[in-house]
Amino acid sequence: MSQKAESWTDRLEETLIASILGLMTVVTFANVVARYGFNSNILWAVEFTVFLFGWMVLLGASYAVKINAHLGVDAILNIVSPKSSKTLGMISVAVCIIFSFLLLKGAWDYWANFANLPATTGRWFPTGFEENFRGKGWYETDDVPMPAILGFMEGMFNDGDEYEKLPRLLPYMVLPISMALLLFRFCQAGLKLWRGEISMLIVSHEAEDSIEEAAQYVKDN
Amino acid sequence: MEVILLFAMVIGLLLIGVPIAVSLGFSSVLFLLWFSDSSLASVAQTLFNAFEGHYTLLAIPFFILASSFMSTGGVARRIIRFSIACVGHFHGGLAIAGVFACMMFAALSGSSPATVVAIGSIVIAGMRQVGYTKEFAAGVICNAGTLGILIPPSIVMVVYAAAVEVSVGRMFLAGVIPGLLAGTMLMIGIYVMARVKGLPKGDRAPWSERFAAAREAGWGLFLIVIILGGIYGGIFTPTEAAAVAAIYAWFIASFVYRDMGPLATAEGQSNTSILKKPQALFTAIWHRDTVDTLFEAGKLTVTLLFVIACALILKHVLTDEQIPQQITKAMLAAGLGPIAFLVVVNVILLIGGQFMEPSGLLVIVAPLVFPIAIELGIDPIHLGIIMVVNMEIGMITPPVGLNLFVTSGVAGMPMMAVVRAALPFLAILFVFLIMITYIPIISTFLPNMIMGPEMITK
Amino acid sequence: ACEEGEVVVKFAHVTNSDKHPKGIAASLLEKRVNEEMNGKMCMEVFPNSTLYDDNKVLEAMLQGDVQLAAPSLSKFEKFTKQFRIFDLPFMFNDMNAVNAYQASDAGQAMLDSMQKRGLQGLAYWHNGMKQMSASKPLLLPTDANGLKFRVQSSDVLVAQMEAIGGSPQKMKFAEVYGALQTGVVDGQENTWSNIYGKKFFEVQDGITETNHGIIDYLLVASVDWLDGLDAEVRDQFLSIVGEVTEARNSEAYAVNQGAKQSVIDAGGTVRELTAEQRAAWVEAMKPVWTKFEGDVGADNIEAAQKINMSMSN
Ligand code: NA
Ligand code: NA
Repeated sequence: MSQKAESWTDRLEETLIASILGLMTVVTFANVVARYGFNSNILWAVEFTVFLFGWMVLLGASYAVKINAHLGVDAILNIVSPKSSKTLGMISVAVCIIFSFLLLKGAWDYWANFANLPATTGRWFPTGFEENFRGKGWYETDDVPMPAILGFMEGMFNDGDEYEKLPRLLPYMVLPISMALLLFRFCQAGLKLWRGEISMLIVSHEAEDSIEEAAQYVKDN
Repeated sequence: MEVILLFAMVIGLLLIGVPIAVSLGFSSVLFLLWFSDSSLASVAQTLFNAFEGHYTLLAIPFFILASSFMSTGGVARRIIRFSIACVGHFHGGLAIAGVFACMMFAALSGSSPATVVAIGSIVIAGMRQVGYTKEFAAGVICNAGTLGILIPPSIVMVVYAAAVEVSVGRMFLAGVIPGLLAGTMLMIGIYVMARVKGLPKGDRAPWSERFAAAREAGWGLFLIVIILGGIYGGIFTPTEAAAVAAIYAWFIASFVYRDMGPLATAEGQSNTSILKKPQALFTAIWHRDTVDTLFEAGKLTVTLLFVIACALILKHVLTDEQIPQQITKAMLAAGLGPIAFLVVVNVILLIGGQFMEPSGLLVIVAPLVFPIAIELGIDPIHLGIIMVVNMEIGMITPPVGLNLFVTSGVAGMPMMAVVRAALPFLAILFVFLIMITYIPIISTFLPNMIMGPEMITK
Repeated sequence: ACEEGEVVVKFAHVTNSDKHPKGIAASLLEKRVNEEMNGKMCMEVFPNSTLYDDNKVLEAMLQGDVQLAAPSLSKFEKFTKQFRIFDLPFMFNDMNAVNAYQASDAGQAMLDSMQKRGLQGLAYWHNGMKQMSASKPLLLPTDANGLKFRVQSSDVLVAQMEAIGGSPQKMKFAEVYGALQTGVVDGQENTWSNIYGKKFFEVQDGITETNHGIIDYLLVASVDWLDGLDAEVRDQFLSIVGEVTEARNSEAYAVNQGAKQSVIDAGGTVRELTAEQRAAWVEAMKPVWTKFEGDVGADNIEAAQKINMSMSN
């Protein structure tokens, strides 16, 4: 099945991805049962599930860099000399690093005001933090109720006013976190490529594992 | 035009080996920063809204998960036994059974490569044992596997529906007749080749074997009834159907077939009865097999959806700069008619399909051609099916063809050999594409009959 | 395409641009601004949620990526709960009462009530009164008992459906037609123009003319953007907004009546309520007011009721 887990971070990331997907499935299923079986509803099911969906993919994106699972085209990399291939690989890494850096800035700028923090100034690159801004800590999601355990947030982000629904700063928090992880993983991949530990950034297709498994299966039978 | 620069950049980055998602996202971000006054924050917002605002895309992880449970849990194996019992005695019977099995698995799974892996890994080995050449076996399965996205449910249809906001249920219905037709055309093609080449035929299975095989496969195949019956019977939406399918597949695999989870045993022994181990009802939830399958499905979802999310960033940037309107105006001004337009669409998609993974390509192309199609009076559902069939062909043409990669792995053959093996059947799919393109009723008949005529809101 | 030196105004909304009351108003505003303010201001309208949907457009406005939007009034409940008054059932007798309330001091004060959070209401744009439809005839509130109704994200509307014994369901607008058709949900509430535009009448037993609530929109811009405009440009822009609002709001009633007639012409069933039947609906739904009185403000409710009284005399 899955490749042997190498470290506790691998285990953590794999378990996280599996649990989020499992939770999404169960909540959606439960809403069907509630509606069809009991003529009832789980009013927060739809919104909660799409938040989980976003969390899984955004957090998973950096994990996919780590295990070289991102999709790409390797046709040219396979026909040029290893030296050129490495050069192209390093250019690719540079593109990925710039991209994830720009996204990290965008993610911070988008999220910061929701947490009553300043966004950065500058169009391309952060040149500082804005001095005057309107905090949006009060901005709630549509349907997900506020769990009592998070009551402390009301004092921190909402001038002590009660939150009826989960504040948006929570679901959106995944953006800066995941983009920082993505940047980190691309830098790491660049290092590995430079040292020759990996030959490219991408898996050329989505089914490498399945192929190995299937080939094994065909051999065994 | 700046937009040409944008697309040139996407393709250039793709070719030097930048991940597809980053090629799309990076080009869009540069384009946005140069040519518009929108902020980087709007890019992050679009990235999150790819999930928050596109509820229908949720069907993708669920269908992938259902498919993983079925492959792990032995549904494919039972479907193949049933197919062979039904059609194995014809000339080329095992190959025809392979196509038939692909069609059935396609009705359970939303993805083409998944269909190839599930069916191909068993059928190709079996075909070689009874005397088919490796090439013929690989060519058959590689092609028949593409039905995974044409016969509902289909991930590609979900992506199309989300990109242009048509009904997923309608798209699913629209795929039924084309899917059956394509499968039948492939089977007839094989039969003709079998007669010409004198390919082996199997023994006619006794009715007892047919019934036994049907009963075994029935648990898995009942999922078709659940999905379609549930959607059109008003129990759940197409998105929810995918989640129900995943839960059902897990249940069947863990407790009925018991090929995975706490009740599974080593090969050759009969699996444990739930009566002997009732606690399995709970332990199955966090059993290693369940968690591993969830993780594998999650990993596939992540890579696929990250591409789609970045394609949605590109779509946002194009919309922001009003590119689709400009292209629409230019094409209409050039006096493009519906027939010429559909040729253009086919060519764009066939070329794009050489390089790109279907869902990502679809998210980009659909919003560009959709407004023109509506102006020209082309049915959006028909357009969707045309796109899906193009994606099918893209999957079995080099250099980027998911089914080619998967088949080469499954069959243990070099890629170019698979390409050659797939060619004769590819010809059949081309004829099929032309039929689908110019005979809209093949696609629109069933949805219009069941759901009434499509309403077109501009 | 806009020219150098013009103030670019991106206006994102979620309806079509030629049939829906809001879409028509947006198109008229675009036309007039681009003709009369050529060289100073340039408006680009993005209809059909192509750029932003109602959930994201206000976020985008606060970060400066879009300049004009017109979401439905319930979207502003997050900014100030006063806006819940427009979701409360039977708060206004008819569109004239709605109009009068919006023009009153209470209604005008609400335009300015979100300044602290960065939004400035410019004008109320009408759609119309909400009607109720279901998979079976609805004549009394008890007919709705046990039915599943699709509602927008609003606690008031959830409470309203629960008050008549219905089961409220959350669902994306794009999924509603399919869900009504297959029976995933049994009913919904909407204005005539939406019921006709989205063809909901095709997949419902009939539509009952309850006039139990309203759907209206608020044309908004960000405070920071407005402050950044030249005074002269801003004044001209706002006076065009005022004229377009007046012109289109007076037509909105006719647009909805036209849509109602189109529903009938297309073979849809429309049911009207007798005075007693209507009284039963009011009795069933009105208790919802108490629950939200604190949010809305007793004085606002009182002002609305005064207007109802004065206009029925
Ligand atoms: Na399928
Ligand atoms: Na291809």
